[in-house]
Amino acid sequence: MGLAVVVAAQLALSAVGGFPESWAVPLADWIDEARRWVINNQTTHWSFSFIFNPISDFIDGGLRAVEGFLLWLPWYVVAAAAAMATTAALGLRAGLLAGVGVLYFGAVELWDESLQTVALMTVAVGISVAIGVPAGIASARYDRLQRSLRPLLDAMQTLPAFVYLIPVVLLFGVARVPAIIATVVYALPPVIRLTDLGIRSVPASTVEAAEMFGATPRQTLRKVQFPLALPSVLTGINQTIMMALSIVVIAALIGAGGLGQVVLESLRRLFVGRALEAGLAIVVLAMLMDRVTHGAAGLGARRRRLRLMPDSLGRSAPVRALEDALESVDRLMCRVGASLASPLRRSPGLAAVARRPRWVLGMAALAVVTIASAVVGRPEFPSAFSFSFASRIDWLVDWVRDNLYEIGGTWFGTGWFSDSMTIYAVTPLRELLSAELAWPVVVLAVALAGWRLGGAPLATFCTACVAGLGFLGMWTLSMDTFAQVIVAVVMAILCGIPLGVLAARSDRFERMLKPVLDFLQTIPSFVLLVPVIIMFNVGRIPGIIASVLYALPAATRLTNLGIRGVSGEATEASKAFGATRGQTLRKVQLPLAAPSIMAGINQTVMLVLAMVVIAGLVGGGGLGLETVKGLRRTDSVGSGFVAGLAIVLLAMLLDRLLQAGTRRFTPTKSGS
Amino acid sequence: MTAEPTPLECTGTTKLFGDDISGARALLADGCDRQQILDRTGCLVAVRDATFSVSRGETFVVMGLSGSGKSTLIRCLSRLIEPTSGTIKIEGTPIGDLDDQELRELRRRRLSMVFQHFGLFSHRRVIDNVAFGLEIQGVAKSQRYERALEVLSVVGLSDWADHFPQQLSGGMQQRVGLARALCVEPEILFFDEPFSALDPLIRREMQDELLSLQARMQRTLVFITHDFHEALKLGDRIAIMKDGEFVQVGTPEQIVSAPADDYVREFTTDAPKTKVITVGSAMKPLHGAAPPGEPVRVDDVLDDVLARLLADPAELGIVDERGEVVGTVDRARVAALLGESSRAGAVSAGRSTPRQ
Repeated sequence: MGLAVVVAAQLALSAVGGFPESWAVPLADWIDEARRWVINNQTTHWSFSFIFNPISDFIDGGLRAVEGFLLWLPWYVVAAAAAMATTAALGLRAGLLAGVGVLYFGAVELWDESLQTVALMTVAVGISVAIGVPAGIASARYDRLQRSLRPLLDAMQTLPAFVYLIPVVLLFGVARVPAIIATVVYALPPVIRLTDLGIRSVPASTVEAAEMFGATPRQTLRKVQFPLALPSVLTGINQTIMMALSIVVIAALIGAGGLGQVVLESLRRLFVGRALEAGLAIVVLAMLMDRVTHGAAGLGARRRRLRLMPDSLGRSAPVRALEDALESVDRLMCRVGASLASPLRRSPGLAAVARRPRWVLGMAALAVVTIASAVVGRPEFPSAFSFSFASRIDWLVDWVRDNLYEIGGTWFGTGWFSDSMTIYAVTPLRELLSAELAWPVVVLAVALAGWRLGGAPLATFCTACVAGLGFLGMWTLSMDTFAQVIVAVVMAILCGIPLGVLAARSDRFERMLKPVLDFLQTIPSFVLLVPVIIMFNVGRIPGIIASVLYALPAATRLTNLGIRGVSGEATEASKAFGATRGQTLRKVQLPLAAPSIMAGINQTVMLVLAMVVIAGLVGGGGLGLETVKGLRRTDSVGSGFVAGLAIVLLAMLLDRLLQAGTRRFTPTKSGS
Repeated sequence: MTAEPTPLECTGTTKLFGDDISGARALLADGCDRQQILDRTGCLVAVRDATFSVSRGETFVVMGLSGSGKSTLIRCLSRLIEPTSGTIKIEGTPIGDLDDQELRELRRRRLSMVFQHFGLFSHRRVIDNVAFGLEIQGVAKSQRYERALEVLSVVGLSDWADHFPQQLSGGMQQRVGLARALCVEPEILFFDEPFSALDPLIRREMQDELLSLQARMQRTLVFITHDFHEALKLGDRIAIMKDGEFVQVGTPEQIVSAPADDYVREFTTDAPKTKVITVGSAMKPLHGAAPPGEPVRVDDVLDDVLARLLADPAELGIVDERGEVVGTVDRARVAALLGESSRAGAVSAGRSTPRQ
């Protein structure tokens, strides 16, 4: 019925076409006006001299201090510190890998850039935690605060990272401080949410027990609630760090510098090899930060094990001798550390430190080495260690272009793949949405979808969002982005759900798939573009493929989880009736897993949108490109802002529709 | 006993949950029942007009099924839940008037509570759990550890001080809960169904332990349970609670031998009467000379004398606290007493639907 209405409307309005450009609101001009006002009043107006500039100076000072310190440290101290921290969190093997990872920064001559990114991260995450943990605690205590924060946090997590950069640029200009502010805003929600959640999930009876002993609210928080919530808080910090890293890289667009800058510059000049080197450095950083905080949160499996070799080799004599030697070294170190720490034991504040002899010894050793190096003179990273594989990658890119584009001179190859996708999917869809369909028909179709899924309120909301795209003057660009999103989502679902089903049915396949998915989820979105460009060159198709890769883990994981979550009894019952595996899957497992799969699709769409927007950087076009242009050139910040707003509308539209869809698939519990 | 105030005195305590408290109060004053008040105002009467007092060394048990308001009542006594009306006096001081600071001080020094699901702090070692109350009071570490170890040895857990609660069995965890409550040397101890999460054998063991502890400590205990047998075993006096109200308050013997209504009688049907009813209830006043043979005491329960009565049809003499013979008991009187109460129980069980 709905389809018939849409078709009829299209037939009646076939002459209308895309949204009339003359109807667009000149928002961009107003924004440019505001930006000019900001530039002119930056030195005089009170809001700058008393609010924005002090904030800016404070952050800048902190950043300079952290960066200066990190760059002042000798390279081997940094590597050793990383190795020690990782060993403490995850064990010796991971620690050694972490040390090697840090050396990689120096080896590809990205030492300064890497530590700049680390400094940006440290300051941004530090501010996020300093704001987020107290905010989470407050939100756990006051229900009203939580109620008013929740929609805000929901909205913040819906929007692509990219969008945050624009309003910040408007107020603070292009530099590193705005990059940090955008990062803080983007990365704040998880730490607030999980602090709140952690404190709220402390059992009421435990809190009551504390109260019964006459604990003040502060004592209850400090001695009972917060310690019990700590694993959850650390998980929040872990997520915050990962989100911060993904945006710190993109923030190179507004002059944040660091590794992101290298990737961006290299991609722009098509130095793919160099981009990959810097991209890998980001991945190393991401894995390091993720694993260490993950381990520190106690989420990792086995912690603090001084084992170098895999357990399977535990029986061979030399391995055992090595492990025993390591253990005795550790015991010795503990004893030295303990004797070093003994003076600390008497001072009340430091007694807790004194109980960690390894920690004391490690810090002492690092301090001694650092001071000694400072006296002798800070050594540069030895050039003998450096190696660069950029030229080889560039050669590979050429080779791919020459050989895989049309394999062996036939029609088949990556070229064929991207051409046919462009010709048969992306371009026709874009043309259809932006020009061939009359704009009221598009609005009507989306409104009908909203009405089916969520009734009149959702239909109104959808209509407003779609019409908003037109009134912003972003109709064509929005439909371009929308078309890319549709193609990428379809591809991600077609790959992701079958993979999830396979993973659910075979433990071995699941084990094989897990590291791949982990890897894909750890890589910041922006870096994922680099390898895709090696294979597919620049343009819309690599953007779409990167989006598919980026969103794949969500679809696969939640399908797998959903099917595995189906109760064993239901599956057994189906088998008992003599159903084949296929029948059990189709008639029992998939329907019961539908809520989880829908949630997976929901996430897939949001991830794809975030990535498609970023792909605007490498020729994806659409709203992303327009936003980037706004960020690059101060004179077009207005149109960039408007494009960002269009992304927000698109994201909210898709999110609300999908949420409603997911709810329809979730069975409501009957009764009270 | 003259000047010493009653440790705990609770007068007309009422707790309403809901939005229209004043409306519900008016209805309460008019004598409307719980369902009417719920229907008209949406307010739940959790506790209605609870009045009782507990003297020093006494164990007062509040027994009721789930939803009867007993947990709410015990929380009102320490203002973990603020009562809607009524007066609660601890050592003569009305606690309703205390400000936050004074209330905390009261909880720190005088009250303690043992919780149904233990309410232990899973991030603290056993010893830090036990010493928690002292830590909150600001007692120095060495002192509080010393005291905590002392209490841990009382409950037999000295060797487990450095473990975390999750590493202990349920019974041991509740011993930690008990030790934690005892550590601050409270005058009044509240027990909120402390043993209901334990399996039957451990539960009995814990009950015996509590009885022997109480025999030594002579504290004031308020004990909540849904288990009638537990109430009989532990309580000096028992209050039976139903729909937020006390149905009957009395000694175990009074309740078993004279249930106030059918609701109470249902609990008593399978109660171990011979362990509760004393020889005194079956006593025939003494006429003439005391019967031969060693007399029994007036407060012995029937269980103590049944064997002798069954073995020998003769009367037994009964002596009071001073050792004077005051009456006699024989087979026929005990049989009549037991038969009467079980018949009444059987009738009531047949008449009304069983409750869960």
